[in-house]
Amino acid sequence: MRNFFTIFCKELRGFFLSPFGWVVLTLVTIMQGWSMSGAMKALQDAPIPESLVYIVFHMPQFWFYFLVIFPLITMRLFSEEERVGTLETLLTAPVQTWQLVFGKYFATLGFYVILWIPAFIQFQLFSILTDVPAPFSSGSLFGAFLLIFLMGSLFIAIGCLASSLTSSQIIAGVVTTGLLFIHYFLGYLTVIYSDRFAAAPVIRYIASNEHLRYFSKGLIDSRAIVYYLTAAAFFLFLTHHVINRRRWRS
Amino acid sequence: MIKVENLTKRFGRHTAVANATFEVGKGEVVGFLGPNGAGKTTTIRMLTGFLPPSSGAASVDGFDVFRKSIDARRRIGYLPESVPLYRDMRVREYLKFRGQIKGLQGERLRMRMEEVVERCGLQGVRRKMIKTLSKGFRQRVGLADALIHDPPLLVLDEPTNGLDPNQIRSIRNLIKQLGENHTILLSTHILSEVEMICDKIIIIDGGRIMASDTPSNLVNQMRAAGKITVELKADPEKVRAALSQLAHIKKVTNEKSSEGWEHFSVLVQSGTDARERISSLCQENRWPLRSLYRHDSTLEDVFVELTRKD
Ligand SMILES: Nc1ncnc2c1ncn2[C@@H]1O[C@H](COP(=O)(O)OP(=O)(O)OP(=O)(O)O)[C@@H](O)[C@H]1O
Ligand SMILES: [Mg+2]
Repeated sequence: MRNFFTIFCKELRGFFLSPFGWVVLTLVTIMQGWSMSGAMKALQDAPIPESLVYIVFHMPQFWFYFLVIFPLITMRLFSEEERVGTLETLLTAPVQTWQLVFGKYFATLGFYVILWIPAFIQFQLFSILTDVPAPFSSGSLFGAFLLIFLMGSLFIAIGCLASSLTSSQIIAGVVTTGLLFIHYFLGYLTVIYSDRFAAAPVIRYIASNEHLRYFSKGLIDSRAIVYYLTAAAFFLFLTHHVINRRRWRS
Repeated sequence: MIKVENLTKRFGRHTAVANATFEVGKGEVVGFLGPNGAGKTTTIRMLTGFLPPSSGAASVDGFDVFRKSIDARRRIGYLPESVPLYRDMRVREYLKFRGQIKGLQGERLRMRMEEVVERCGLQGVRRKMIKTLSKGFRQRVGLADALIHDPPLLVLDEPTNGLDPNQIRSIRNLIKQLGENHTILLSTHILSEVEMICDKIIIIDGGRIMASDTPSNLVNQMRAAGKITVELKADPEKVRAALSQLAHIKKVTNEKSSEGWEHFSVLVQSGTDARERISSLCQENRWPLRSLYRHDSTLEDVFVELTRKD
């Protein structure tokens, strides 16, 4: 457990000791601000039945910057260690592979949570600055951020796996982006073809855009929670095995 | 301390280490020699638990490196060949991280850091970013990392690789000091280094252990193929014919001639010395003889003899 914590701290600090972490944080904050101001403008222009939270997370730019966060924050995790050779010093220290995988995973998840603090503050500022009661319920805010967290936990696990498979950051990033876009567009199949095909229920079950629609209305679906967490666990399990494959006898 | 039995590693169809068996006793400083691609790094990686063996077993201090990997790893301080370090960390920070990950904390961690910094001569660069360090200092940081948890066994893969002669000397002296109370397995290409600091030598070639003995024993066995150099003035063909006629001569080669002096090198059979016979041969034929010299075989000869490919 101490080893896990040591690695967790080192990785989390790593995000803030390199300019890279700050660049990501800045970019994401700007994009969040852009979504926010766009949403406020939309509310101003025409009466919309949805809440501010709903509109912010349904701006056209949302998915694009959202999905780009993950390759950026996960691509280095294992591929860089492998390329530089520090994986050798890590795996020959008395550290268990799961401590390494979990340490890196949770540190990245921690950084990801920090990335959403600016957006959270923006929502809080709304009522403070405008003197108007916030045009959203606390339930919808909670739901939206819960889903953001759940998607993050799965997508970071996917990024971990991609990073463990190669010693090239670029390839890891491209693979992660590819997988996430496939996942995202799968969710749209039911929108495009409606429900007229056999796999439709499965697609509905994993469709992030659908989840976002009702989570940001404050409707929390426990099936989605189960889906994200088990899928994240599955990808971490795969990552563990990929890292550990060098320990298998061949 | 180290016990290796029939250790084998195959990469696909290529066998990098084949049935290696050797032992390293407690407190020994062992040189691990072999040409490039012999399988030194692969053997070391199996010992340190980074690569699983294809078959065979190895143990460190009684702990199987495969089944009791964590226990074995606790007892090993390992300096990998390429000295991988985190470029964006400061020396202090890096050593602290490595100490923590190897189970040190609090006062003990602080003391160990002090000690390895002192030992490896890192006082001046503690706060420096690792990427700004010269190769010599990086090597020292790697060594400090290997030492930080005070392991009884040090496994060093080419610790002096790429250093200038002064650095090589100081690292070598450091290793020598460490050898007083550590078991050390040292892979290197610098034979003089081995002669200076090692109690025992293991030579590996093509994945097979070719020899495992003390340096002096190895050299004495090699006296076997003694080499004599002769310089004289005469018709080279006649000399060659006459020399080859003598007893116990294996091979005569005319190496070069300069200003009428012919240089021959003569390989003689084990345990014989042909110098007296050669000198009388020259007297009989009235060949002016300028030098007659028998080479003591060196570790280099041993190495070349055991690992050459022709
Ligand atoms: N990961 C790997 N995959 C495939 N082959 C490998 C791998 N690692 C090493 N080899 C091969 O195994 C053989 C032994 O390599 P090794 O690195 O152990 O040699 P070495 O004795 O350390 O050489 P050097 O003195 O150059 O460091 C080489 O032929 C090498 O090509
Ligand atoms: Mg090597």
